Amino acid sequence: MWIGGLNMTPIYQINALEHRYGNQAPALRVERMQIAPNRIVGLVGPNGSGKSTLLKILAFIFKPSRGQVLFEGRAAAPFDEAVRAKVTILPQDAFLMKRSVFDNVAYGLKVRGNGKTDIASRVTDALARVGLDADFAARPWHALSGGEAQRVALAARLALRPKVLLMDEPTASVDAKSARRIRAAALESRAQWGTTLVIASHDLHWLYGVCDDVVHLHRGRLLGQGLKTVINGPWQQDANGQWGRNLSDGSRLNVPPPPTPDAAAVIDADALTFADPVTPPAAGSYHMPGAITRMILLKGQGIAATVAVGDAQFTVSLSQDAAIANKVYPGRTVVLQAQDSGWRWLS
Amino acid sequence: MAPNGLKGLKITAANRWLALMAKHEMDFILSGILQAFQLLISGNAEAYSAVMATLQVSTGSMAISLILGVPAGFLLGYFEFPFKRSLRTVVDTLLALPTVLIGLLVYAFVSKRGLLGEFGMLFTLTGIAVGQAMLALPIVIALTATAVESIDRHLRVVLISLGANRRQLLLSSLWEARFGILAAAVTAYGRVLTEVGISMMVGGNIKWHTRTITTAIALETNKGQFALGIALGLILLFLAFVVNFGVSRLRRKA
Repeated sequence: MWIGGLNMTPIYQINALEHRYGNQAPALRVERMQIAPNRIVGLVGPNGSGKSTLLKILAFIFKPSRGQVLFEGRAAAPFDEAVRAKVTILPQDAFLMKRSVFDNVAYGLKVRGNGKTDIASRVTDALARVGLDADFAARPWHALSGGEAQRVALAARLALRPKVLLMDEPTASVDAKSARRIRAAALESRAQWGTTLVIASHDLHWLYGVCDDVVHLHRGRLLGQGLKTVINGPWQQDANGQWGRNLSDGSRLNVPPPPTPDAAAVIDADALTFADPVTPPAAGSYHMPGAITRMILLKGQGIAATVAVGDAQFTVSLSQDAAIANKVYPGRTVVLQAQDSGWRWLS
Repeated sequence: MAPNGLKGLKITAANRWLALMAKHEMDFILSGILQAFQLLISGNAEAYSAVMATLQVSTGSMAISLILGVPAGFLLGYFEFPFKRSLRTVVDTLLALPTVLIGLLVYAFVSKRGLLGEFGMLFTLTGIAVGQAMLALPIVIALTATAVESIDRHLRVVLISLGANRRQLLLSSLWEARFGILAAAVTAYGRVLTEVGISMMVGGNIKWHTRTITTAIALETNKGQFALGIALGLILLFLAFVVNFGVSRLRRKA
């Protein structure tokens, strides 16, 4: 998978990567992936889909069980000079060392040991970026709220002026004000220093709003870029031999024949259209009655609409003109039409 | 009536008990405490000799046990290796090592016939310090290992992500466990300070030489010299209070 322009050296290149924890099944398998510098990449996927594993490998926290990660065109491993303090990750849970706020933010600069850097002014600047006053620096680690701790943790990363900032659910457990500050500070770092951002989040509104590319992960595999819907099995055949799954509201979701009953179905947002509810579906396409629950304005242009079909949530992309013409608004009941050829299967 | 009679009986019994206390025990305990304060204020040479001996041996034994125990505890807590759990169990078992057994072992090794007999450590403060170091070592190792194990698992990710190299990762992890390690040291110090078996057996309780606070109290009590015993006991209590106050402060921070 290529993310970003092809004409420049990618900041990351992954070749035949596989990672296992102990003797378990692989938590992550990526054949090939490139990320161009100065992009904002979103990672989406359910818990356990491999997002955190991918982020930690990209952060060079640990080595993958197999395969290679190239940073700026060169193979790199944890503790390499080429990646130390250039690539940094903000984990989900704010974790501060048992030191003052100042010492927490200054730690990375101190271990890097660049005598020319004015550490005090860097710390003040980093704290200001996350909306904390300079006098905050004297606070001990235990006198902070959860949101403040996460902001201090981000400030510690920003003080390094990193080339890559990886964030794992950065706003999952913080208050709204801290979340705003964290998002703004991350985007600012990219605007000012060209920092490449890779963000894993469940907040699709935010990701689709700010990311250049959104990558889906499912069961440790990349599903490619763009808006997608993943529907898990198990699938069953009805009396007519039609494959499908019974939904919680009693309706049935029909799909083309899956390779195995447990396979997960993927359908691109582009392969879904709104159908006329009166006309029966043509051969090779499926109708799914549902209701529009959410609409998101995408970063480039266009709109993503979420359509609930029973307990399954489909993402449909459409232009603003199409949204106006089809009277697409949240709450409206619609019929989704999926082309037979639009389905892909993951086993 | 029965209840009244019982009441009367109770009062009589209590009065008689109080009277007994006043006549015998209370007398010399109270006067012992008064004398003890007099001894402490006037700077009794015998009492201060014992205090100095105690401080010397405990400092020596703590130095040995910390130099050996903190690195060993860090290795035990930080790294994964085969038979780690078995080793932990052995160390935890040694926490319950009786002081008289250590006294016996050290005595056997440092007496003239023993392996280390030529160093002449029997009935010296050095001998006591070695024995007390054996007492403190398992405490320092076990509690340091626990402190290092309880470092948040996120710390590693944070340190690497901020650019720490392998050496900085190790040192910063140790620094993060500092309150727990200090608490381990203070706990071991409290144990060393108050032990009597090793000091008595290896030191021999020699006046002006190897007589520590605890052995002095044991001897003075046998002699019926309660005043000096109580005076030394108060000093020991005070030291133990300082030590435990330190531990509770550190526990709260860790």
